[in-house]
Amino acid sequence: MKKIFLLALLYIAYFTSFGQNNEGVVYFTRTTYWTKLNSTLTYLSKQEKERMSYMFGGKDDWANYTLLYFNDNESKYVNSEEKNDQSEGYAWRKEAYSIGRNFTKNTMTDVIEMLGKTYIVEDSLKLPEWKILNDLKEVAGHICMKAQVEDPIKNQKITAWFAQDLPSQAGPERLWGLPGMILELDINDGAVTVVASKIEFKKVDKELEPPKKLKGKKITDAEYQGMIDKFIKEKIKEEINPFWVIRY
Amino acid sequence: MNKSLVLLIALFFTYTNLFAQNPARVTIRGVVQDTSAMTLSGATVMLLQPKDSSLVNFARANDKGSFEFRNVKNASYLLKISYVGFLPYQQKLKEFPNDVNDLGPIKIKPIAKELLEVVVKTAKAPLSIKGDTVEYNAASFKVPPGSSVEDLLRRLPGIEVDASGNIKAQGKDVKRVLVDGKTFFGDDPKAATKNLGAETISKVQVYNGKSDQALLTGADDGKKEKTINLELKDEFKKGAFGKITAAVGTSDRGVLRGNYNRFNKKEQFSVLGYANNINETGVNWSDYGEFKGNNSFNSNDNGDFGFGNGNRFYYMEGDYLNNFDGKGFTNNFGTGVNYNYTHQKTKFSSSYFYNQTKLNLDQYQSTKTFLQNSNFTTLDTNNTVSFRNSHSVAARLEQMLDSSNTIIAKTNLRFSGSNSSVNQVQQYLNNSEDVQNRINMNNGSNLNAYNFNFTAIYRHKFKKKGRTFAASSTLSTSSTDGTDNIRSLTRFFNATNVNDQIRAISQLNQNANTTTMIKAGVNYLEPLSKKVYWESFYNFNNSGQNVGRDAFNGNLESQRYDSLSTYYQNQITYNRVGSGLRFSNDGINLSFGLAVLQYDLDGKVYPQKGKPLTANISKQYQALTPNFSANIEFKNNAYMGFNYTLNVEAPSITDLQPVVQNNNPFYITSGNQDLLPAKNHELSFDISKFDPATFASIGIWSSYRYYLSQIVYSQTVDANLVTRTRPENMSGGKNFNVGMYSSFPIIKTKWTMNISGNINTSNTPTIVNTVVNQTNNKNYTINAGFSITPSEKLIMNIEGNLGFNNISYTIENNQNQNIRTKGLSTSVKWNFAKKTFFETSFDYNSYRNDRFGFDQEIPILNCSVRRLFMKENRMEVRLAAFDIFNKRQSIVQTGYLNTVSNQQALTLARYFMLSLTYNLKGHSDKLKKNGGFF
Repeated sequence: MKKIFLLALLYIAYFTSFGQNNEGVVYFTRTTYWTKLNSTLTYLSKQEKERMSYMFGGKDDWANYTLLYFNDNESKYVNSEEKNDQSEGYAWRKEAYSIGRNFTKNTMTDVIEMLGKTYIVEDSLKLPEWKILNDLKEVAGHICMKAQVEDPIKNQKITAWFAQDLPSQAGPERLWGLPGMILELDINDGAVTVVASKIEFKKVDKELEPPKKLKGKKITDAEYQGMIDKFIKEKIKEEINPFWVIRY
Repeated sequence: MNKSLVLLIALFFTYTNLFAQNPARVTIRGVVQDTSAMTLSGATVMLLQPKDSSLVNFARANDKGSFEFRNVKNASYLLKISYVGFLPYQQKLKEFPNDVNDLGPIKIKPIAKELLEVVVKTAKAPLSIKGDTVEYNAASFKVPPGSSVEDLLRRLPGIEVDASGNIKAQGKDVKRVLVDGKTFFGDDPKAATKNLGAETISKVQVYNGKSDQALLTGADDGKKEKTINLELKDEFKKGAFGKITAAVGTSDRGVLRGNYNRFNKKEQFSVLGYANNINETGVNWSDYGEFKGNNSFNSNDNGDFGFGNGNRFYYMEGDYLNNFDGKGFTNNFGTGVNYNYTHQKTKFSSSYFYNQTKLNLDQYQSTKTFLQNSNFTTLDTNNTVSFRNSHSVAARLEQMLDSSNTIIAKTNLRFSGSNSSVNQVQQYLNNSEDVQNRINMNNGSNLNAYNFNFTAIYRHKFKKKGRTFAASSTLSTSSTDGTDNIRSLTRFFNATNVNDQIRAISQLNQNANTTTMIKAGVNYLEPLSKKVYWESFYNFNNSGQNVGRDAFNGNLESQRYDSLSTYYQNQITYNRVGSGLRFSNDGINLSFGLAVLQYDLDGKVYPQKGKPLTANISKQYQALTPNFSANIEFKNNAYMGFNYTLNVEAPSITDLQPVVQNNNPFYITSGNQDLLPAKNHELSFDISKFDPATFASIGIWSSYRYYLSQIVYSQTVDANLVTRTRPENMSGGKNFNVGMYSSFPIIKTKWTMNISGNINTSNTPTIVNTVVNQTNNKNYTINAGFSITPSEKLIMNIEGNLGFNNISYTIENNQNQNIRTKGLSTSVKWNFAKKTFFETSFDYNSYRNDRFGFDQEIPILNCSVRRLFMKENRMEVRLAAFDIFNKRQSIVQTGYLNTVSNQQALTLARYFMLSLTYNLKGHSDKLKKNGGFF
């Protein structure tokens, strides 16, 4: 009897430990450093950039919380309900934002509210052109390796840190496709950082289900990127920061 | 056939030959093991492009440690293996000749345990691996200030430093210590570690370097020596910026203005100065921001808790900003220094500022005052010469005690002085426009004041998210000391008696006032759920005032006018307790609250300081004040806001003081000790919509205020047209404001249209000679304009506005006033040649009031040309012409209570100016499209 019990216990332990590493949710803190972000705007003069960092540097950060649900085949990245300390209880409206990835089917289903409209970006997945570097660091208790990718449309150099021991291709924002889960992002030398604070291993089937009713205009990834590209170019020409209204 | 063609053909054949030999797609497999041949299951194996490390494919080693890439393109690769606790492994793979290629066991080396534990896990520093070099960020290891590199090395894992300073890394002697890859003062490794400060080092690299012998001969003898390389910091982020402007102009105009800022990671230091006679009484917004640096805006600085405290606004105290009102001529001077220190949990700022302004004002004003079925006109010509200055010292400390406790302390001390002399002639014209009285006034005044203010705020965040507590207290004292010298001569043209025809006043007032205020408050916020918060606050305020005035005969200073003198002591205590609920979720923010407040007033009147009490006024008022607010963000970027509050405001001390002010013998004011607080309902509502795709916006806003009790100045005008006013409480009176604005592009990126309009109606009761007069004021304004940017080099703006102001008085209904204003303003900025700009603006304004027979048009044209010189465009030379038509003056038309007035003042008109500006960071050689910041 004892043996059977022990066996059962071992069995449970085995399965829970196994089930533990490939399904769950990652809690991210997404921080925007506005001075750094604004410094990337090409139309600002040296004097303006200098003044900006002189006046606002060090207290220009705004934090948001995001969640990444994942299992072996899929991932979904959404905004969290949690309010930050700076908001002092004031609740800004959350724009529709849900980034769905299916790695077995090789498809994306993104619901993104942008420029006053909700778009559903449905397309096949195209692997970002990652470069793998030789740096190691710890994020949320996991040793991560450094990788880099460039976004020519938003003019961003993105550094990602992916876990060596979490075999998932998932990642925050619209990024994915590294040999391990992405636990940290750094866009343009810290203009925006997305850092995992903790990882909870649990069943997340319900959270991964696609929203039942998808309201919005269906577009392809190329159309979506084209729209962003056009908008950024237009606003830069008008000398208005496009990232006041679109996600950096 | 020439040689090269042969070569080409030969190459081609070799190429196709190779191609034919090597398969197009291959399978690559291998086994990952550690140095003791233990298999490493789960290791990540990546195929990268050798040229840029781009990821091509990846696989995971199975439980036997083996991996396989099937059917991958046959090319040269960089094979990379990573596994927790091991150094990333890299191997170059050449194109394969066979279909299936087994790389066999690949052994990867572990990372020294202490590196992983101490550097990565404890110090949270990234490890950078370059071949067998391990590099990490020395800045992550804390050593006391002033420590040497040796002290730093002692803390680093895997490195041992013995008592005499010899270094061992991973158990082996370190033969060489390099600084930025170079030998530092000879061969002794200790030279660098003992002499360099730890704070100068950013990175420490430990690697096996070639031996000295190998370096010398260039032949690698295979011997490796432990080497440490110390990488120096790119210095602290450090810099300086600033600019200086000097200008000279016609009519003796001149400007000198400059600021200089130095900063590093922790400190900011700024100096600022200006001197001019072109009516810039202070600095502009951006210079002010540069001066105050990271102390320009401070959140959490408000210690006055109340409803809606959740929305803490950043605000800027603009003491030294240019606030010229458009009237007169001023000479200005100001200078200041500011120092900010920000490091980790401490933020300290301090500043000193001195400024002074000398004003010379010539002003003409005609005012019509309506009485029941009659009116009179006052014509006033006055010349004022005044001088004011102030010294101000401020400091602020914000200290985070830990992650949940913060203390803010700020203090301000200001000494200010002013003196002025006013020469004034007033003529009083009766109903039939005959001069009835004339008064010549010659008043001088002298005032010295000091203010001191200290505030401390404590904020605490509880463990429970969203639960906060805050407390604040303020001590403020001020004292003013001044004298008024009043001289006037009045002629009464209607007087029949010779004695009544002329009256002269010569009086000397000595005023000494002191105020001490103590303020305190607490605020508590409790989250009842994720969406509902319960907020409570308490405010206390006690202010004590001593007002002393001694009026003397100006020609005989021993003669005191007791009727015009007083000594008054006033204590006002204010208590308020409030509580409310807040709901906030996904763009919906609602709050409802209720507060109880009480004022306790205690006034004591003495005929003179030190004399027995003549009257004691003691009062208490209570009020219940509700508050409701709703802020809703809808989908589609639409927004709606609604606010209701009951405002209760205690009477101002000046209104309460039973002191007679007779500086103008025809306008005598006195206070009223019986005043009750002003009370009004205030409602506001606004909606707006914004289209982020085009940046088009539209909005409507409105506000309504109804006075339950309002403080108005009742007037009694006697036969000699002497007005006596006294503040009194009256119910009724309302104000309604509604406006709209819209901005939208007509042609994207080139044409934008802005329109706005506003209607304001108000009803104000006053008592004129015991009869209640209702003044109804209706004000309409409309604005429309375009911004046009045809190219990068040309920016134009044009805007027109119209204003109508209709004023009617119930006591004199055939005297309705119509004031009309029209305006047109245009501007052009043109970058017509390289680094050369032309800028011009034209403003046309017209002011009309038919009943006064007033019709004035003011066209103002400004032009300037500027060119940038020197490296980085550091020098700007500008030639400017201001007010080319020489027409500038100030015109203000107002209708207030039972009066309507028309005021004209001279000010600086046409002048030409040549200016030079040197900017350390250089001027922008492009036109700026948006005036705003980003």
